Amino acid sequence: MAAQGRIVWVSGPAVKADGMSDAKMYETVTVGSSKLVGEVIRLTGDVAFIQVYESTSGLKPGEPVIGTGNPLSVLLGPGIIGQLYDGIQRPLRELSKASGSFIGRGITTTPVDMIKKYHFVPKVGNGDVVHPGFIIGTVQETDLIEHSIMVPPDHPGGVISSIVSEGDYDLETVLASAEKDGQNTPIKMYHRWPVRKPRPYHKRYDPTVPLLTGQRVIDTFFPIAKGGTGSIPGAFGTGKTVTLHQIAKWADSQVVVYIGCGERGNEMTEVLVEFPHLKDPRSGKPLMDRTVLVANTSNMPVAAREASIYTGVTIAEYYRDMGKDVVLVADSTSRWAEALREMSGRLEEMPAEEGYPSYLASRLAEFYERAGRVKASGSPDRDGSVTLIGAVSPSGGDFTEPVTTHTMRFIKTFWALDAKLAYSRHYPSINWMNSYSGYLADIAKWWGENISEEWLSLRSEAYGLLQREDTLKEIVRLLGPEALPDEEKLILEVARMVKIGLLQQNSFDDVDTYCSPEKQYKLMKLLVDFYRRGQQALKEGTPLADIRNISVVSLILKARMDVKDNEMAKLDQLDVQMQEEFKTITGVKVSN
Amino acid sequence: MTTEGGVQYSKIAEIKGPLVIVDDVENAAFDELVEIETKDGERRLGKVLEVGNGKAIVQVFEGTSGLSISGTKAKFVGKVMEMPVSKEVLGRVFDGLGRPKDGLPDPIADKFIDINGEPMNPEQREYPKDFIQTGVSVIDGMITLVRGQKLPIFSGSGMSHNLLAAQIARQASVVGTSDDFAVVFAAIGVQYSEAEYFRRSLEESGALKRSVLFLNTADDPAIERIITPRVALTVAEYLAFELGMHVLVILTDMTNYAEALREISAAREEVPGRKGYPGYLYTDLSTIYERAGKLNGRKGSVTQVPILSMPSDDITHPIPDLTGYITEGQVVLGRDLFRQGIYPPINILMSLSRLMKDGIGEGSTRADHSEVSNQVYDAYSRAQEVRALAGIVGKAGLTEIDLKYMNVGDVFEKEFLSQATDENRTIEETLNVLWKIVSKLPKNEITKIKDKFIDQYYQEE
Amino acid sequence: MASNSALESTIDKILTNTEKNVISNIRLALVDSQQKIDSAIPKLESEYDKIISDGKKEANKIEKQITGSSDIEARNKQLMTLEESVSKVFSEALDQITNTARNADYSNLIKTLLNESTQILGTTQITVLTNSKDKDIVRSILPQFPGAELSSDQINCIGGVIVKSKDGAMTFDNTLDARIERLKPLIRKEIASKFGVGN
Repeated sequence: MAAQGRIVWVSGPAVKADGMSDAKMYETVTVGSSKLVGEVIRLTGDVAFIQVYESTSGLKPGEPVIGTGNPLSVLLGPGIIGQLYDGIQRPLRELSKASGSFIGRGITTTPVDMIKKYHFVPKVGNGDVVHPGFIIGTVQETDLIEHSIMVPPDHPGGVISSIVSEGDYDLETVLASAEKDGQNTPIKMYHRWPVRKPRPYHKRYDPTVPLLTGQRVIDTFFPIAKGGTGSIPGAFGTGKTVTLHQIAKWADSQVVVYIGCGERGNEMTEVLVEFPHLKDPRSGKPLMDRTVLVANTSNMPVAAREASIYTGVTIAEYYRDMGKDVVLVADSTSRWAEALREMSGRLEEMPAEEGYPSYLASRLAEFYERAGRVKASGSPDRDGSVTLIGAVSPSGGDFTEPVTTHTMRFIKTFWALDAKLAYSRHYPSINWMNSYSGYLADIAKWWGENISEEWLSLRSEAYGLLQREDTLKEIVRLLGPEALPDEEKLILEVARMVKIGLLQQNSFDDVDTYCSPEKQYKLMKLLVDFYRRGQQALKEGTPLADIRNISVVSLILKARMDVKDNEMAKLDQLDVQMQEEFKTITGVKVSN
Repeated sequence: MTTEGGVQYSKIAEIKGPLVIVDDVENAAFDELVEIETKDGERRLGKVLEVGNGKAIVQVFEGTSGLSISGTKAKFVGKVMEMPVSKEVLGRVFDGLGRPKDGLPDPIADKFIDINGEPMNPEQREYPKDFIQTGVSVIDGMITLVRGQKLPIFSGSGMSHNLLAAQIARQASVVGTSDDFAVVFAAIGVQYSEAEYFRRSLEESGALKRSVLFLNTADDPAIERIITPRVALTVAEYLAFELGMHVLVILTDMTNYAEALREISAAREEVPGRKGYPGYLYTDLSTIYERAGKLNGRKGSVTQVPILSMPSDDITHPIPDLTGYITEGQVVLGRDLFRQGIYPPINILMSLSRLMKDGIGEGSTRADHSEVSNQVYDAYSRAQEVRALAGIVGKAGLTEIDLKYMNVGDVFEKEFLSQATDENRTIEETLNVLWKIVSKLPKNEITKIKDKFIDQYYQEE
Repeated sequence: MASNSALESTIDKILTNTEKNVISNIRLALVDSQQKIDSAIPKLESEYDKIISDGKKEANKIEKQITGSSDIEARNKQLMTLEESVSKVFSEALDQITNTARNADYSNLIKTLLNESTQILGTTQITVLTNSKDKDIVRSILPQFPGAELSSDQINCIGGVIVKSKDGAMTFDNTLDARIERLKPLIRKEIASKFGVGN
């Protein structure tokens, strides 16, 4: 029996209703005569505390509150890919049909088109025994996504007693029934799953495969693994959003879930405008064919912002269960934390640091724990992963604030954006001294097997140069560059080249925007070789200025933009040219 | 618009700060407009912040000074606050709550619109990409503004942000179109002289007849400032999306707005976030800034240039900080440049226009725009490093190339950045000066520009 | 709402009577504003001559300024004239309502007003205030509202009632004056549109 209560108090997104003793925690309710969507977040006696996902302007005490009996859930089935949802999985395109250019209230729609027909190919037959997670058939959702229809996790399983033949069906059609203990339970193309409950899987693996993003500073220096967790904190203007867009565009995953959580409306529009025109570098298909957007922009109701993270990660887990690699990008978890803080304040809970609730850390931990590379439940065997990447927007760019510090406890890759680098237009402005990756050892094997045996040692040498430069810069700052011996000046020079030719990457340049692993390796090798040869030449008495001025330098620095991924031979030629030029300058020296 | 009147309640439980708490309230809605009547029959406006259990907390826009527990009455009007709008608001001056301040009658309304607006559906937004020529070189060349953008000016006390904002308002145009455009100006707690400077500037350029002014000056009630930007944006949205005009909205000074918000939060005894500002400051500011934009299938646009003064020039202060997270870039004024008498004193290294990349290039400005602008940015950044170094080791300790960069810095500030307040430069003029600066560098230092553009535009000595 | 449509039809009637009168006022105002603009042109020309030496930019600026401000001046004059006409229609309407016969229709109106007021206050335990003209009508209707009583204080209004809860905590103003005041923006728009303005 659904609860039926009455509003007794309204303050912003928070509403109290009495007569709600039948309500359950986290049950969704409709609030007021305009039927706004809300969720029960606290029960005291017969009073329910409700967070409302729509604007409560004009709501009055005395208006009705009616329970739905269900927790906040998402609908999982074909039709999700390519959508733009709000925080509670309402498709924004459908909302605009109902309320025009601005978002109205109390509108109900289904998350996907329920009457669209998909071509279903059965994979099991009558008499087969199935359990939750078993794939009973597939449909082609988009050109890129083959969508597995699985026995839902809350289905009892059993023996297939009926199954439709191959053909076109809509979402409401019963595709199959499974019988257990004399009970027949139907299976449709979709099911619902509560967002706050992680979806089950068979077992978890250690992450060992890198998630390749085509971004050099990430892949080469601070890599993340498939099924891993990463965080990207940065003050405003440091290029957080551009970096996240780059990951969403170029990551080698099959599905991307992009959550705009309390961020700018135009950023979501940008994705919507741009992604359909961008081609996936591996398949050549439009990127939108693998992307789901969840947008709860900063001016949309704050409670739905809190829900949007869970909506997104549940969708990600669903595609993971089909055996796909999924990347979820959340911009920004700080706005999500602020939503928590606002609701906590209205609940008059005792605040911890900076007014955030004391459960901030545990909520963050729960979220990042939903990442992982897993073997999915059921048959056939399949491995999938959810990689979670969360942006953090620390106030004042201060990394000691609560959201950043708590996040750092639960993630393994940390890409620290640096305002100083951004001010000098060094993009991506990932600071190489403050960032780290806990996956380096795990994924080095992959690079060794697939790209080059010497990858790890080259990377250490290149990174070592950057670290040396950092200490030397201190001396330069005090005494000027002339105070250094030539050997150390060479380090400064090569570090500058590493920054310009390798770390910097122009996401608006057609070639530079994506860099293949092989190109990353070759560029790095050119730079390290330059250092090694330069060091040798110095020892042989060649003046530093001659080394600096060889003409291959500017070609190496521009190679990231000039050399396309299918022109690797050009990088080999640069290496040959460099050898020649070094011979010339050292040779001239000897002949003198 | 409802024709039902509201019930007047006379049981005032408490008055604190800008809040009046009314008891035994039966029939009030969240956000509802409230008319407060003082003992002497004076009327003030307010709105419901919280309602329930027989109590309503009312925020009084004109302040509570002079109110008493007995004799004060609160009438709940039965609707949220609305602004009457029509084409005839152009050329008019209103107070901070949207009431006529020019001695003329209330506008005859075409519509009454909820001043809080509704969030734009991101799916219905049109991505902004029409270049606005402001005639200010440093903005057009390096921090390009586009229609539908929100680009704030971060200033400090006493700096020339008003001159700059007024110059933008006078000169802003989109090359090659004849669409109607309008200026909506909201003064939020600024001195009368500043508001008056703006009005006169619009009048002198003949722009007053297509402008709407909302004035809450320093001596007007502080809590009214919560409303001022909202009524201004309501009118802007009407002009843009109903009448198809391109509207430039100038909001000055948003710091005063945030302070009014803090005052209310303190009176409600809410748990504060940083520096005593409420935890929802970000969300609240976004309900103002996000009202900029363009919509699919509609002609007009709302472009916002909010101005805010950074307390002690501190960009990490919560107000500029949270603003910067919402807006699409920022124009930062530099105290050093201002002291040197440079106008506009824009610190380009800290400034940014996020939408620039889509508003420039072939077909809107020129194909080489992005690259030449990046190169100059880079060079100016190097020039600053060299200047710092010169401060330690002296000019004598600098290399030849260092000296070249130092020269670039000087030329940049003298010939590109500096500009008269009535000087309106075309984008071609702006780009030519950029090339002049780049040409002070030897060609092998130019790493960000394609060779074909260097061949075309590089000016040999 | 019944009481509104009664009101509006009264206003409509008065409108037709005064329309001609007011329209001629508007025409005069329009002619006046036209003349203003016309007279601005020679002024503009003389300004032109005077400053031509100061450079074209300055001239341009002043031209814009003068046309700009004379445009606004003319428009504002129009707004004022319109407002005067609207007020005139209004006050004539109010006069007429003040003198409306207190017949059966009118008592129905009072009853509707009382009904509405008690509903909004949520009680019939009320004190009712009215003017001397409506006193008798109100008194005859009040027995239908158990607990309601007529206050001995009289108020100054053109008609209708003010209703208070007995403890005095709640008041609902349902005088015709208040109702007209609430409708005023809509009525103004209607009158203005009859003059062909405001659309």
